[in-house]
Amino acid sequence: MEKKFKITICSGTTCYVLGGAHLMMLEDVLPDDLKEKVEIIGSTCLQACHGENARAPFVRINDYLMENASIPKIVEYLRTH
Amino acid sequence: MNYINNAAIIKRQLIVRLAKMMLAGNLNSRIDFIPLQQAPKDYEAMRCCVHHDRAVLHHRLMALLGFAIENEQPEDEIRTLASYVAEAEQKGDSRLDEKILTVIDEACSSCVRANYRVTNACRGCVARQCLMNCPKKAIKIENGHAVINEMLCISCGICAKACPYHSIIYQPIPCEEACPVNAISQNERGIERIDENKCIYCGKCVQACPFGAIMERSEIFDVIRSMLDKNEKTIALIAPSIIGQFNTDMGQVVTALKKLGFDHVVEVAYGADITAEKEVGEFVERIGHGSICMTSSCCPAYVQAVDKHMPEIKNLVSSTLSPMQYAGEWAGQQWPGARRIFIGPCVAKRAEARACNFVENVLTFEELGSIFIAANIDVAECEDVASDRIASSTGRSFAISGGVCSAVVNGTAKNGIKAEEKIFNGLDQKAFASLRAIEKIVKNVTFIEVMTCEGGCMHGPGVISNPVVARRFLEKILKDQANDS
Repeated sequence: MEKKFKITICSGTTCYVLGGAHLMMLEDVLPDDLKEKVEIIGSTCLQACHGENARAPFVRINDYLMENASIPKIVEYLRTH
Repeated sequence: MNYINNAAIIKRQLIVRLAKMMLAGNLNSRIDFIPLQQAPKDYEAMRCCVHHDRAVLHHRLMALLGFAIENEQPEDEIRTLASYVAEAEQKGDSRLDEKILTVIDEACSSCVRANYRVTNACRGCVARQCLMNCPKKAIKIENGHAVINEMLCISCGICAKACPYHSIIYQPIPCEEACPVNAISQNERGIERIDENKCIYCGKCVQACPFGAIMERSEIFDVIRSMLDKNEKTIALIAPSIIGQFNTDMGQVVTALKKLGFDHVVEVAYGADITAEKEVGEFVERIGHGSICMTSSCCPAYVQAVDKHMPEIKNLVSSTLSPMQYAGEWAGQQWPGARRIFIGPCVAKRAEARACNFVENVLTFEELGSIFIAANIDVAECEDVASDRIASSTGRSFAISGGVCSAVVNGTAKNGIKAEEKIFNGLDQKAFASLRAIEKIVKNVTFIEVMTCEGGCMHGPGVISNPVVARRFLEKILKDQANDS
């Protein structure tokens, strides 16, 4: 079955060092009801971090690019979409 | 659980900005703009106002340049950061002394002196058990509420136990609570101060402070400067726990380090192989002389703890050098005159490096990662290559608690001696008590491993990866190695 959300976590060095390392735990900490709806994909650099004021870490949820991503922020997005 | 911490992220962002300027060759003219870039006019202040935030950032940058904030004189407050850059250039490594950590007084929020606080759940009851039972008469009732006089309170906790409404809470001073040796305490202004005679440089206070007020005196300035110097050769000595720090294979980090400008990359796990071998030899010899136990010596915070707090067990600590020192010694023989830079997760290694002749500088993984960002190097896109000196799976397993112990016990077994394992996974008050009495506790021939960080080096204060994630990479590399052999 097609999952509702496809989450791409950037693990390029910029994102990884500036907070993205914690996002690697997403699969382990997602509540069960959300887990069923989500497919998590690891990714090399999403090319979002190159601007002067880019706010790493980045995560893409379907077509939406989330900046300054964190696990609570992702969970909230999944709950409201 | 390893929570994400905004104070750590700000530090990394500052290192990125600083390293970018160094690499562009305009640090002297640009460094004083960093607090303005990091906390611009329209930004939402973390503290009372943007100016206080900028003052803290100014001091963070001083620590990143290697200076101790405690040495700042009153008139130094108007000194520019550029003047500190000039001083660092002129003094070089000599500005770094035995003081490894520094407290930013502007950032320290002077946490409550007393550990107990009356919340607004207090009903100002008639029983007043808190007031009646306080041994120091530190509680009085004001406007129908109990109030604790912080100057009298001795934090015994009787009031909190006595309150029928649970309205009195325990509130720790995070850095003091995290310190295993009571080395940090408040001065008369309520600012934390570190006692060098007690500090073992474990770095737990750095991780614990919610205001990020305690920082390491970084050596990034010296490392980047030597990388940019065409006449100076540099060697990266990478700790075993680097495995998994960038969510990539270790060989990709090797390529990234070479791209950054390191001439050679050596696995400290190779030094761990030497440590294991020599430690087995030493242990067998000691057993021959009638000893029944010996402790590891590779964790520098533990070695500091013995020197400063448990001198009575000093004779039980192995005199074998740490993996870092053997790797540094080997690298020095291979490439004489090159600057050897240990890259690891550890604060205490800075003190060990300064006291030995085999390593010139120390970087943490988070500092390295931030420098990669500044140099626009993406480790995930680097090629997987072998380092200039690879290691066995035995040496690589020193990164986690239990690795040293099993290496030595297995080696001792090859000499026909069966030894038991005892592992102190984390150095807390209980571990101190057991170690002091260890000769009475241990009955049979036993090798004792002590790791100050619970879980081992992968849980150190300077790591990037969540240890759960990093461990998966280590297990994979150890498995691959087992299949290859």
